[in-house]
Amino acid sequence: MTAINKNNKCRRIRGWLSEAISRHFGLDANWLQKHITNCPRCQRRLLSYGKVNLAISAIKSQPHKLDLLMCANAQAIGVLKHSLRRAQKAKKLRTIRPEPKLRERFGKYASSTANIAACIAIMLLMKFGVFSSMDTFQTQGQKVIKQYYASRIGDDLADEVFPKDTNNLSNLI
Amino acid sequence: MFGKTVSYGLLWDFAVSEAVSEDQRWILSTMQKHGQELITLLWRILGNEQDVCDAYQDTFLQLAHYDRGQKPEHVKAYIFRTANNVAISMLRRRIAQRKRISPAVVTGKHADTGGFPDPAVPGSPAEELDSKYLQESLRCCIAQLPKHLRNVITLRDLAELSYAQIGRILGISAATARVYRCKALQLLTVWMGKEEEK
Repeated sequence: MTAINKNNKCRRIRGWLSEAISRHFGLDANWLQKHITNCPRCQRRLLSYGKVNLAISAIKSQPHKLDLLMCANAQAIGVLKHSLRRAQKAKKLRTIRPEPKLRERFGKYASSTANIAACIAIMLLMKFGVFSSMDTFQTQGQKVIKQYYASRIGDDLADEVFPKDTNNLSNLI
Repeated sequence: MFGKTVSYGLLWDFAVSEAVSEDQRWILSTMQKHGQELITLLWRILGNEQDVCDAYQDTFLQLAHYDRGQKPEHVKAYIFRTANNVAISMLRRRIAQRKRISPAVVTGKHADTGGFPDPAVPGSPAEELDSKYLQESLRCCIAQLPKHLRNVITLRDLAELSYAQIGRILGISAATARVYRCKALQLLTVWMGKEEEK
């Protein structure tokens, strides 16, 4: 328990620290912005850094032909052992095409799935959490009242007022 | 008698080949499992489809001949490292070849980098904005990086692997991978920005 508390505390402090650091030393910090506007060397460095990032993005955004994987597989299998070339899997690999990853394929449904999951969670909580608590609360209340009557008017009369098959106070009312 | 010997021989060959095939079937599984990621990495390093196919073939050929056909302990790490090395060697060879074969075409400002625009030499603003120019400049700079920094930058920024995965592939910690990437970016920034400093 103590370890969990410590961990939470650590996490909170780490969060505050990174927030404070990014506020005072991040690219959006006022003093840094002022410095950059007056320092040509920093401007050049930032420009170059932006250039590197731009180039990486440009490389990543460049698509290749859809059949590149197929061609590469066919070429690579061609130089493998004869027995491997004849394998069933090799035939399959020669005609394989790139498929989007599961995460990419179902990424568009992520928000709606999260909404549905949240609804189901709330419904389950209402069904098993809130309602069962209410039932427990009702039963306990009934027991207390029965005990009160039993102490005041005796067990026999209390049993009559609260018969054993009665599970609900509402039946009495 | 001779016919029987031949048929026994054929049967024996078939049995051996089947055994080998069973032994090395993991190569095809590896191809199926990591092929797409490898192609993406190679395409982003090389930017040329024929080169990608050649590098991919070389990678799997090396895998098939690794320790007399034995399966490496960490196959993914092995193929990613091999593919990276093969691709960078090809890139460097391409640069050198262009420089050697067509000095007439590769004149003046791009001569040192074998036809690729040299980031250290100023180009026209239009050229700078050109995406292809930027890409080739970056490839050129990446090829010049020290091996440990280059591996991290290609695996992180081109193959889009996580630091933990990079750490496992290169046999370093995730934190070290972060530091190496930072250093690599600093070097790339300096090299790409040399023209402004001049």
